[in-house]
Amino acid sequence: MIPVPPRRVLVYTIPIALLLFVLPFVVAPYQVALLTYGLTFAIAALGFNLLLGYTGLLSFGHSAYFGMGAYGVAFIVKYFKISSMEAFILGGIVAATAVAALFGFVCVRYTRIFFGILTLALSQVIWSLAFKFFWVTGGTDGLRVPTPSLLGVGMAPGQDKMAFLAHRYYYYVLVIFLVGVAVMWVIVHSPFGKALQAIRDNETRAEFVGVQVRRYRYMAFLVSGVYTGLAGALWVPLNGLTTPDILHWTFSGKIVFFTVLGGFQTFFGPIIGAVVFNYLETYAVGHTVYWQLVLGVVLVFLVLALPGGIVGTAGRVLDRLRKAA
Amino acid sequence: MGEVSRRDFLNSLGVTVGAAVAASAGSVLSPAKAEAQVRGTIPDKPYKIGHMTFFTGAAAVLGEPSYKGHILAAEEINAQGGLLGKRKIETFKADEAAGTDANVKEMRRMKLSEGIDLFTGVISSGNTPALGPVAEELKLLTIFVDGCTDFLFDKAVPNPHYIFRITNMQSADGVTAAVATAMTWPQVRKIAHIHPDYSYGRNAFDHFKISLDKLVPGTKVVYEGWPKLGTTDFTSHITNAIGAKPDLLVSSVWGGDYIAMYKQGLRYDLFKKMKFTSMIAFGVAPHAIGKDHPEGVIGGIHSNYYWNYPPAGKWPLNDIFVKKYYDRWKEYPNFQSEGAYTTLMLLKQSIEKANKLAGGWPDDEAIIAMLEGASISGPAGYLHIRPDIHQGYKDAVTGFSKNDPNYPFQILDPSRMVTIPIRNITAPPGWPKGEPTSTYTWIEKTWPKVTKA
Repeated sequence: MIPVPPRRVLVYTIPIALLLFVLPFVVAPYQVALLTYGLTFAIAALGFNLLLGYTGLLSFGHSAYFGMGAYGVAFIVKYFKISSMEAFILGGIVAATAVAALFGFVCVRYTRIFFGILTLALSQVIWSLAFKFFWVTGGTDGLRVPTPSLLGVGMAPGQDKMAFLAHRYYYYVLVIFLVGVAVMWVIVHSPFGKALQAIRDNETRAEFVGVQVRRYRYMAFLVSGVYTGLAGALWVPLNGLTTPDILHWTFSGKIVFFTVLGGFQTFFGPIIGAVVFNYLETYAVGHTVYWQLVLGVVLVFLVLALPGGIVGTAGRVLDRLRKAA
Repeated sequence: MGEVSRRDFLNSLGVTVGAAVAASAGSVLSPAKAEAQVRGTIPDKPYKIGHMTFFTGAAAVLGEPSYKGHILAAEEINAQGGLLGKRKIETFKADEAAGTDANVKEMRRMKLSEGIDLFTGVISSGNTPALGPVAEELKLLTIFVDGCTDFLFDKAVPNPHYIFRITNMQSADGVTAAVATAMTWPQVRKIAHIHPDYSYGRNAFDHFKISLDKLVPGTKVVYEGWPKLGTTDFTSHITNAIGAKPDLLVSSVWGGDYIAMYKQGLRYDLFKKMKFTSMIAFGVAPHAIGKDHPEGVIGGIHSNYYWNYPPAGKWPLNDIFVKKYYDRWKEYPNFQSEGAYTTLMLLKQSIEKANKLAGGWPDDEAIIAMLEGASISGPAGYLHIRPDIHQGYKDAVTGFSKNDPNYPFQILDPSRMVTIPIRNITAPPGWPKGEPTSTYTWIEKTWPKVTKA
């Protein structure tokens, strides 16, 4: 049975989706390109939150799947000389899934801090491979990824790359993003998703009612890896280059930051968090050399004052207003 | 080919060791020419420049002087009314330590949101290969101060149009260090290496090795240490290097990392146990090198520039630059300061030339045409911009460390600076692109192996 979103969710999401579709006609290309980054990060955050918010597992190693998505694309360019976005996505997902299948097999045997540390350690292995095997991965120089063709149609000769990123590429990412959100909605509201939440809330009880805890966790881990890998594959044409930076654990920390910023107890929180973080970081870097301080202060404020994140807090405020009315 | 002696080959490279020049009597002359006539009408809106460098982290001791050199030049130009006497320079700064992903976004933001006319700065050779192609996409006139990896113009952007770069090609570092070593300590045989584990470190290692193999046959690498960039603990590399009992230690560790490394080396008497050659030790802001630093070692400056060379009285442009820089910032410039300063002077010169030809404010195409093949006299000496790969070339220099009672920090001995004509140590125009770099294959194929001293 496929759950249909309740009407009140559609009331919010349909206008927002429509707004996203008309956006390139309203705002400057730079803003659209920036939002494209936000959407790719949001896909990663959605995948990440299936583990954190719904299964109760805090991964500190999601940079590995994001990075494998990106490097999967770069290898397709390097070894097969293909520049079709569909092939990129396929390659990115295959690479990320392969690594998630391997790492997940090891990691889901543990929970809590052990799970977190193990995911972090394994992701650092991938980082150091990308870093050390420079004759394959380009080391810190990274690997370049050219502008891809979308559905077989390449960039017109002489076309401005920004115009391409802010228009055709934006729509491409937007459609994948919306499909990704819908599929994730289905997943978390399906019996499988409910089982994950049961595992999160009480592992022992879940086991007693017949949920195969480890197997379900493994499935969640894989889905999470696929989403994050997809995000990496979509991100790399925006950056034009993939470097070991995105495989480093600090990038995993960013994915955690997105999710905490938006609120991990809600479905839409991580999406909002990823988009907001992307703006926050870009403007902090652009306007002060103390950008790290800005991000640090925001994080401390979030943890102390808004543990529910943006969406969680907004929901609570709305509830209170409704009760008061 | 008959026998080649090291002495003859070094002579053929044109290597010179700077002799102390008695400061000439009389005041330093200002080289400024008579006010050039500006043709046509020039708009008076500001000329916006984005400057990206390291403001945070261990790399800031090397990077921040870049911004100071830039600001010094901008203030000087603005004091004359701006570019062509009208357009004042307005600078937007950004921290390079944000990582390549954020740096790419920042470059786009500067161009599309702030509307910058020129992008400049950048220190790390990990960042220019990311930013170069983006600048080309954005059609953004860019003059990188550093980030001098050969990879940028060898592979990432082999046919640049909008991007230029000022400091010497990275491969010159390793070659210069090897030439200075071969001149100074031709008896070394066992060599230890400690380099940062990324493209710069490997580039320095490769080019030092190929050059030394040609100049001093029979050497052997007895230790290779590859600390990660940004490491502050070098103890294991230092003790391992000492354990290998080398005659010489070679290192391209830079910035704050190097300060930590030499201080830790002192505790183990590292520098008493072997000779030491560095590609970039003295590249930091000069006051960062303490008096405790070992004397008489080859203290590289990225093969570019040290503030006391050309020595006082010999090259007025340097005297003026060092004085102005000191008056403005109460410290001495490093090679990044000189690079950033010369960048703006080169821009100014190109804009003025273009104006002289066509009148009015020149568009980017006209400025690019003037930059290609440009030559300028800077504080460090003559700088030539190669028209094919838009890379700046100036004679490579390195020197020997020395304590001087007149300065509270250690300096390079101006009487012993080693200068090498750049054309003798880098791949020339038309040389095919090679692996790992064009200069590497050029040295491998064209340098003879010396057979006797």
